[in-house]
Amino acid sequence: MPFSAQPPASGEPYVLTASLDNARHLSSLLRAVHFRDHATCFATANGLRVTVEDAKCIQANAFIQAEIFQEFAVQEEAVTFRINLSVLLDCLTIFGTSSLPGTSTALRMCYRGYGSPLMLFLEEGGVVTVCKINTEEPAELLDFDFCSTNVVNKIILQSEGLREAFSELDMTSEVLQITTSPDKPYFRLSTFGNAGSAHLDYPRDSDLMEAFHCSQTQTNRYKISLLKPSTKALALSCKVSIRTDAQGFLSLQYMIRNEDGQICFVEYYCCPDEDITEAKLHRRDS
Amino acid sequence: MKSFLGIFRSLPLLEKTVEKCLILLRPRASRLVVQLHCKYGVTKTHNLAFQECERLQAVFDTQRCASQLCAPARVLAEAVVHFPPTLAEVTLGAGPGGKLSLRNYVEDETELKKTMVTELWLAEDEFQTVAVVPGSHITFCLKEFRGLLTFAEASNLPLTIHYDVPGRPVVFTLDDAVLEVHLVLATLSDTESNLQPPPTNGVSHPPAPSDDFADDLESYMIAMETSAYEEGSGAPPSPTFPLRTPHPAESDPEEEEEEEEEGAVPGTPPHKKFCSLFFGSVLMPRGPSLAPTQEVLAEDSDNEY
Amino acid sequence: MRFRAKIVDLACLNHFSRVVNTIAKLAKACTLRLTAGKLYFILSDKVANGGVGMWCELCQGNFFDEFQMEGVAPEHNEIYLEVVPENLSRALKTAQSAKAVKIKLTNKHCPCLRVAVELPSLSSSSRIVTHDIPVGVIPRRLWNDFREPNVPDFDVSIYLPVLKTMKTVVERMKNLSNSVVIEANLSGEMNLKIETDLVSVTTHFKDLGNPPWASVDECQDSAQDRDLESMAEARIDIRKLQQLLAGQQVNPTKALCNIVSKRIVHFILLHEDVSLQYFIPALA
Repeated sequence: MPFSAQPPASGEPYVLTASLDNARHLSSLLRAVHFRDHATCFATANGLRVTVEDAKCIQANAFIQAEIFQEFAVQEEAVTFRINLSVLLDCLTIFGTSSLPGTSTALRMCYRGYGSPLMLFLEEGGVVTVCKINTEEPAELLDFDFCSTNVVNKIILQSEGLREAFSELDMTSEVLQITTSPDKPYFRLSTFGNAGSAHLDYPRDSDLMEAFHCSQTQTNRYKISLLKPSTKALALSCKVSIRTDAQGFLSLQYMIRNEDGQICFVEYYCCPDEDITEAKLHRRDS
Repeated sequence: MKSFLGIFRSLPLLEKTVEKCLILLRPRASRLVVQLHCKYGVTKTHNLAFQECERLQAVFDTQRCASQLCAPARVLAEAVVHFPPTLAEVTLGAGPGGKLSLRNYVEDETELKKTMVTELWLAEDEFQTVAVVPGSHITFCLKEFRGLLTFAEASNLPLTIHYDVPGRPVVFTLDDAVLEVHLVLATLSDTESNLQPPPTNGVSHPPAPSDDFADDLESYMIAMETSAYEEGSGAPPSPTFPLRTPHPAESDPEEEEEEEEEGAVPGTPPHKKFCSLFFGSVLMPRGPSLAPTQEVLAEDSDNEY
Repeated sequence: MRFRAKIVDLACLNHFSRVVNTIAKLAKACTLRLTAGKLYFILSDKVANGGVGMWCELCQGNFFDEFQMEGVAPEHNEIYLEVVPENLSRALKTAQSAKAVKIKLTNKHCPCLRVAVELPSLSSSSRIVTHDIPVGVIPRRLWNDFREPNVPDFDVSIYLPVLKTMKTVVERMKNLSNSVVIEANLSGEMNLKIETDLVSVTTHFKDLGNPPWASVDECQDSAQDRDLESMAEARIDIRKLQQLLAGQQVNPTKALCNIVSKRIVHFILLHEDVSLQYFIPALA
């Protein structure tokens, strides 16, 4: 069925127009970073980046390359706006989230620039939905300054190996401790909960390990409540890259393959938990 | 207990991934260590804190229960599905013609006018044995019973119910080569026959092995004993698995009886020796379903070894 | 006053269960009216229910293998009972593999509908489960409160789109707004609209068709000379609409709605032997 609802003609041109055969490609990635209501969208000729932050400690980015879209046009160098992500997701999935074969929601997305609403035109089976979502002043984003030259340790794992671990995390533990080391235990996830401690060890020669580059032993703790939302991205992904820099900042990069085999990325940055002093770290039970 | 269960939460996943399970007790560190060796060389180590505690043991003698019946767990499981999941108590009764009934317990007359009453009748020939006092009935907690049934049904075992008069505990037993399960539940006493003193004289605190697992008040609500038969089964269970530590006092009814005889107040009618773990007659609905999950756990370790 | 009925056919039993489940989703308590030929589930239009009304009509012959009833008096051969449909729904849930289900009006401790289910067993005799559902008998002087509602003098009558699509759309809209504007015209177009501070969403359905009411009676004249394109609209509580769409298990062969501008939306779900009418009043 041809796209029947064309955006109304108007004086001002759109600074951003994008269309997509299957709105799920966008909604599933956005859901992977949906742990707060608000998101900042940043569009360039390369594609769209959607950023969500919490507690000045965690930042999640979903990257949707321009190639994923059938049409992606940006009239300015960069277009930035803030939007209610929950509302955006409800609109994108107005015809449901199920992926029955042969049914997909076509999407056209337009934005006229600062102060204008984001317009969505969705169509499925001849039914058309028009959404107008108000946008807000873009907020200052955290700069994690996480640059690949500062990376100390880097591990690439098949996501399968982490999924179970994250689903079973002892949520009574305040932190998740990540140990990466060139020697045993190589890669260890630890929790310290009400019932006791738990350690999960991955040997470097495990079939789950795609790459293992650790130059020194690092042990860092991260608030488990901050990392928990990344489980959504983990669930969709096929591989995950775990990197830490000299300050203990953590980067989790999830490689996500959509139904059409295209690859997108979701990235989580997390600050180490500063409440944990060195002394405490050394006293931990093993 | 909960933390211990947490490790074994997802049975299908465990079966798929775990290759070996090691359980160690490190009393000096006060830790129970459970190590799971999974596929891809991944190792999970859980260091669980535990507390030593006194064991509360119910003294009961199934032989002296006036009524006894035994049925495949499936028959009973199919019977209880007809009751709403929120229902607290059911009444089991022996009706005319050898039929047995289960009905939801409704507290008082005014409730009765508002509540749907469900009653299920099972014919005698659905049971393996029926030896019940005609007209007898007891009311007990459905939740724990359901839990036990889930386990019994999964292991395809017949369940025997021993009971006496209302207010005396009901004992559910399961038996097979490697496992013996007793679940003792209090029953509601008849409101009309409140003359009976609350059954308090039967609870004893034997100098039990300190490795028992009951670790909080809630576990006192239910006395669940699992004990392994020493003889028979070729595959010995893990000696480090405290749940399965043999309790000779229970597996030998005679010995138990002797102990009781000594402790009994002279002149006490013999049936008074049966005890209830619930003081008073009002059941607390907050007892968690420790019993079922505990059971599944034991079962799982069987497979592991 | 007597009532006794029996269902043996499994398909009929499942169908009847689905109707009862639907009612249970729509009403906490309702009136069950029994006549020689029909059963009715009625929720009368009271402010306490948010003004929602329901009228569900079943031909007993299509469901029951036996159906005997004797009303309060020969000239008033009817029975009106106050029931909690959830109880009936739960009782029938246990009857999914039943050999037979009997429903009987009894009076043991209090007036009850006794649902007796005969289940297959491993032994020679069947298992019997009985459910005693307390009911209130409604005296004759109150019967007038439960008259069949008239089809309102609507502005537009239109067939509904595929209910599943409509349900998903309404569910998403419910996350965004408390009320929805439902509007339709005589050219087979219907829109669902929400508007809040954050967002406005409109879903356009077309080619739905308008049912031919012209021959029914003279009261439908306001729809006669209407401009085909002009929309009649009503703003309704979105939860009530969602409840209807999510709760219905009758899988209607026809579903339509009548809109009285700014007053009421009247939904009709039709199945061969069941009809369900549901009235949602417009918000101010």
